[in-house]
Amino acid sequence: MNTRIKKIFRDLTTDIPKNLMLISAMMIGVFGIGAVLGGYAVLEREMAKNYLSTNPAAATIKAEGTFFTRELIDSLRKFDGVRDVERHATISARMKIGGDWYPLLLFVIDDFSVPRTNIAFWQSGAATPPLGSMLVERTVYRVIQASEGTEIVIKTPNGKQKAIRISGTVHDPSLAPAWQEQTGYGYITLSTLHWLGEIQEFDELRFTAAQPEIEREDIGRTAKKIAAWLTRKGFAIHEVQIPPPRKHPHQGQMNAVLSLFTIFSFMVLVLSSILVASSFATLMVKQIREIGVMKTIGANSRQIAGLYLLMVVLLSIIATGMGIVLSRFAAAVLYSNISVLLNLRIFDPSIPWWVMGVQAAAGLLIPLAAVAFPVLRGSRITVRKAIDNYGISTATTSSGNAWLATISQWTMMGETFVLSLRNTFRDRSRLMLTLGLLSAGGAMFMTSMNVSKAWDNSLGKITQQRFYDLDVRLHHFVPTVNADSVIKGITGIRSAERWGYSSTSYVLDVPYDIVQTYPDKGHGSFQIVGVPLPTSMISLPIIEGRWLNAKDSGAVVLNHIAHALSPSLKIGDSIRLSIDAKPTSWKIVGFAEDLYSPATAYVSMPAFQSAACVPDRFNMLKLAFAGRENAGIAEKTRLIEEALAMNNVSVQQNISAVLFRNAISEHMGVLVNSLLAMAILMALVGALGLTSTMSMNILERKREIGVMRAIGASPKTISNLVLVEGLIAGIMSIFFAFFFSLILSFYLGEFIGSMAFRSPLSLTVSQPGIFLWIIIILFGSLAATYFPARSASRITTREALAYE
Amino acid sequence: MNDRSELVIETRSITKEYETANGLYRALNNVSIGIHKGALVAVTGKSGSGKSTLLNIITGIDTPTAGNVVVGNIALDQLSESALATWRGNNVGIVFQFFQLLPTLTIAENVMLPMDFCNTYPKRERRDRALSLLELVGIVEQADKFPSTLSGGQQQRASIARAMANDPLFIVADEPTGNLDSQNAEAIFHLFTQLAENGKTVVVVTHEKDFASYFEQRIHIADGSIVDGALDTGEQKAVTVKR
Repeated sequence: MNTRIKKIFRDLTTDIPKNLMLISAMMIGVFGIGAVLGGYAVLEREMAKNYLSTNPAAATIKAEGTFFTRELIDSLRKFDGVRDVERHATISARMKIGGDWYPLLLFVIDDFSVPRTNIAFWQSGAATPPLGSMLVERTVYRVIQASEGTEIVIKTPNGKQKAIRISGTVHDPSLAPAWQEQTGYGYITLSTLHWLGEIQEFDELRFTAAQPEIEREDIGRTAKKIAAWLTRKGFAIHEVQIPPPRKHPHQGQMNAVLSLFTIFSFMVLVLSSILVASSFATLMVKQIREIGVMKTIGANSRQIAGLYLLMVVLLSIIATGMGIVLSRFAAAVLYSNISVLLNLRIFDPSIPWWVMGVQAAAGLLIPLAAVAFPVLRGSRITVRKAIDNYGISTATTSSGNAWLATISQWTMMGETFVLSLRNTFRDRSRLMLTLGLLSAGGAMFMTSMNVSKAWDNSLGKITQQRFYDLDVRLHHFVPTVNADSVIKGITGIRSAERWGYSSTSYVLDVPYDIVQTYPDKGHGSFQIVGVPLPTSMISLPIIEGRWLNAKDSGAVVLNHIAHALSPSLKIGDSIRLSIDAKPTSWKIVGFAEDLYSPATAYVSMPAFQSAACVPDRFNMLKLAFAGRENAGIAEKTRLIEEALAMNNVSVQQNISAVLFRNAISEHMGVLVNSLLAMAILMALVGALGLTSTMSMNILERKREIGVMRAIGASPKTISNLVLVEGLIAGIMSIFFAFFFSLILSFYLGEFIGSMAFRSPLSLTVSQPGIFLWIIIILFGSLAATYFPARSASRITTREALAYE
Repeated sequence: MNDRSELVIETRSITKEYETANGLYRALNNVSIGIHKGALVAVTGKSGSGKSTLLNIITGIDTPTAGNVVVGNIALDQLSESALATWRGNNVGIVFQFFQLLPTLTIAENVMLPMDFCNTYPKRERRDRALSLLELVGIVEQADKFPSTLSGGQQQRASIARAMANDPLFIVADEPTGNLDSQNAEAIFHLFTQLAENGKTVVVVTHEKDFASYFEQRIHIADGSIVDGALDTGEQKAVTVKR
């Protein structure tokens, strides 16, 4: 081995703590990227695999008043552009958990032994549920707090309450976890549906496309052809549901989470690269004398640069190797947790090789790029400058710093503070590096907290924009008088409004609705809602135009999700919306922000009743209670349920504000937690950076410290000097960090909000975030400078003055 | 054996000025010297007189503001910084007051390093050469030890061995005994005498008056100018004392 290579190896093993810090800094970046990209790659692949494994229907055609026979299905299988067809039915039932009713979606399967579309995979128990029993999705147990073999009470729209046995468990990867949606999923036979009291038959027809990569427009064309064919055969087609092809209902949220992770992991890498650059600047300072000596014995700048770049490469290899190995474990934790949130089963946990390639490239190239400047600068130093270097920085406070001189005159400032202040500013480029590092760390930390807070505020808008405590949806339109008698009989109701709703779609050239709704009936749905005006139940922020008023007859306000379905629409445009497959005409008067709602068109209640041909009838109750305590709400909900039942009013579902908030909160939990994890990582890298730069300062001033010791400075004075210097740099960084966090928070909030919920998160400042960062910086600065300060105070006068 | 009339180092009217906070500072003023091959030369003068600047200029570490330096028929001002590094590695051996051995290399490795940088000897021969040089300076038994375990005198011997590694044209030593006791200092001067007798040109900056007898040429500098020497054709000349 060349003698110079030996030198590099020995140098690496000489200052182990310093090199470990360098390795840690580089490793954190490589680790972050690997964990995120690894998790991302596995989840993206497995999400597609899971969803496609269910053989999701390209479209569902829903008939009204008629049902599909087996023979009809068989003939449809020969239809052009169709691969397979299955008849189906979906019932919005309810289940009783404790004393409360929860929504239960019942999927009626034609043949459990030969599932064809939207397949739920058998896990345990019966493969085909016997009469009077149902299979449930595996995530339901957390909601119903029961186990396989037990019975739960359920109620279908037209049936009576019945106890149904859970005979088996399935996994349906196309559905979000039941606990996340606060709903249940059951799978039954048609016989069991009849046993439950319903007379309904299979009224849905699901088909898969012959071409797997087909787009929505092509599916729509095929669906229209089938619908036309069915219409000719006498079927009344009510709705065609075409969800986004091959796209999991939670794809948007997952993309938001993973994009967030990716952005932050690259930020960590940038931060750690700044740290590596600053640490290498320290190393080069330490090595300047040796560089001078090597140059006097014949080394040229290229050879010197080569030596130190080799050192970086060796450190990078170690860091990258460790980062890659550790990141694989972290990636596994990440994809395992997110797979639970998305109800996925990981078929293949292998992380693709390209992830390692990205990590290796980032881990080797970015540190090299980061250290290129200090290394080249150090290696190009002239021999005279190198061997004349006596360890006292030549950088001095410039004459332009009048304000420093002024501050120094303030009598209340101790000499130590003044000296620390001057020392902080003596090397501008060093100060910039330290501030850059701490500001970047702080900005990212505060951004994490700000965005997290913005999520929380966004969640808070549920109660700021919705003033009702209970949303009761009925199976059928009922006369207004029925509601009045129910409400009057229950105490504690502050106010009640009778609303109307119906699923809808923009009317095209066909006599039925074409919607984007997924089979779970929630994701991708579009509804038209009749609101009594003025309303005391909601107050939506208007994005453009105005809200409805009582005089409006044909006016509609679209929420931002409905607007996103047809973005070319503008105020004043006329639109046609279908209600029960009948076209109705409306004029757009406003667009409103309506967080966490499906696509909704708001119209006045009289206009809705007129359009839906349901005069003096309603099918939704919005209730606000006098007391808003959770326990009270549950009790009142039960009373209302009972009263409605006594009046023969069938409830489809009731959603309390608390339940709704919980469901949304479950959706966003992963985002908030991941943001906080990132914040902690940022704080860690920032603290490492401060330690590094303070060590560098001490190293450069070893001789100066010796001089101070020689003229009477005690070890404590030296130690305080260094600590105060660290604190000054730390405090300064807080202001920069705050400023940058505002910019970052704005753009990140806009990006994530738009991606997840089509509504940017508003710029929010988290006061605990600022407070926490101040605490972290103050204690972190003290902790980070403690070791350099201690080492400075321990330098003996003789040792420092002899420093060469 | 050696052609003592041959000038190895020659400076012609060199001046060196530095920009300082207090204005222009002239470290050397119109200095011309000539050093013969195989000479053992002392450069003396008070602190700040310009000794080290002169040494830096003849080793190519620094460049003169005016005038020329010719070393072994090479005009140093014609060489780039990189070419100077290679030239220095092949032609100059430098001994420092504080030894400046690289702490993470053993003594033998320190001696091998210049051969590595300049690629002057085949790899397999380098250790043997290092050991023979260490034997020459009397510390071959310390070859595999690290510098910190050696005494000051031993470290300075090692640094002389390192200066000899590429068989340079001349050796310069900047106060090589300034950090040593008198016994070790005498041993070092004795070593330099031996090197000069073997044909190496050795230039030593020193304050040691007790060892004046070792030198055959003495250049005394004060305030950047050569003193104690006759002026000829307007140029300051070094005082040459033949033993």
